Amino acid sequence: MSAFLKTLFGDARTVGVVAIITAAEGLLVASGQVDWAAYAIPACALAGIAWLATR
Amino acid sequence: MLDWTIVVPAFLTAAVEWVEAFTIVLAVSLSIGWRAAGGAALTALVALAAMTGATGGVLGLGLDIRWLQLGIGVFLLLFGIRWLAKAVARGAGLKDLHDEAHEFAETRAQLARGDWTASWLIAFKGVLLEGLEVWLVVVAFGLHARSWVSSGAGALAALLIVVAAGLVIRAPLRRVPENAIKFAVGAMITAFGSFWTLEAVGGAAAWPWGDSSLLGLAAFYAAGGLALMPLLRKRIVGALQ
Repeated sequence: MSAFLKTLFGDARTVGVVAIITAAEGLLVASGQVDWAAYAIPACALAGIAWLATR
Repeated sequence: MLDWTIVVPAFLTAAVEWVEAFTIVLAVSLSIGWRAAGGAALTALVALAAMTGATGGVLGLGLDIRWLQLGIGVFLLLFGIRWLAKAVARGAGLKDLHDEAHEFAETRAQLARGDWTASWLIAFKGVLLEGLEVWLVVVAFGLHARSWVSSGAGALAALLIVVAAGLVIRAPLRRVPENAIKFAVGAMITAFGSFWTLEAVGGAAAWPWGDSSLLGLAAFYAAGGLALMPLLRKRIVGALQ
């Protein structure tokens, strides 16, 4: 079962990075900064990728 | 009509996973024979096909498109980010490259300790787990873009090519550029994931260039990943000095 879950969701760090990205999307949209979200979200995702690569 | 923007990522994702599954089945076949190992693989493939049909049917039933888009987008982000980070880490030398020969030897060692049933289960589980990511991508693309034929065709074509190549070579498919494919697919899937999640949360206007933003996103992640490799490599060299 744990192999099944890990294959689907990845490890806790990956889940954490994706949670931060989606939370950032929600915050930017809720605060009316939709125009910035299109630039901030990819940058945020790339930062998460860089962090995960070093772990 | 096939949608090639769906066929290509589905094909590449599936190819990587089927190569890994083939290595496991090949190792098992040396213990319990081709017929039994192939039977285990086929059983897992039937289970995956049933899962694809069932999830497609359930998710297609009247769910709000934005929630569906958000759910699929999150799964694609989980998957794409993981693959891209792994490919970047391997490209930078932080992680060893995936080695099919090593996987093959490990599975053989594992098999030496088990009986027929345990060996059959190893082949079944191996194909099922590797196929889960294929299932995810086929369902995600099939549902969102209504491209079931394109996503299924990509995955099926990859399966046929890997099986044909494997049967000809009868050895682990070591020459497949696994990391390069993982990198390209990781960039594409992360692009789809971020595009769909933000569109679900902020509406279609969230992306200034509409659907064309997908191309820009894929290029951004690919270029960013390529730029990260030397930076991370430099960091390791600096830490060692």
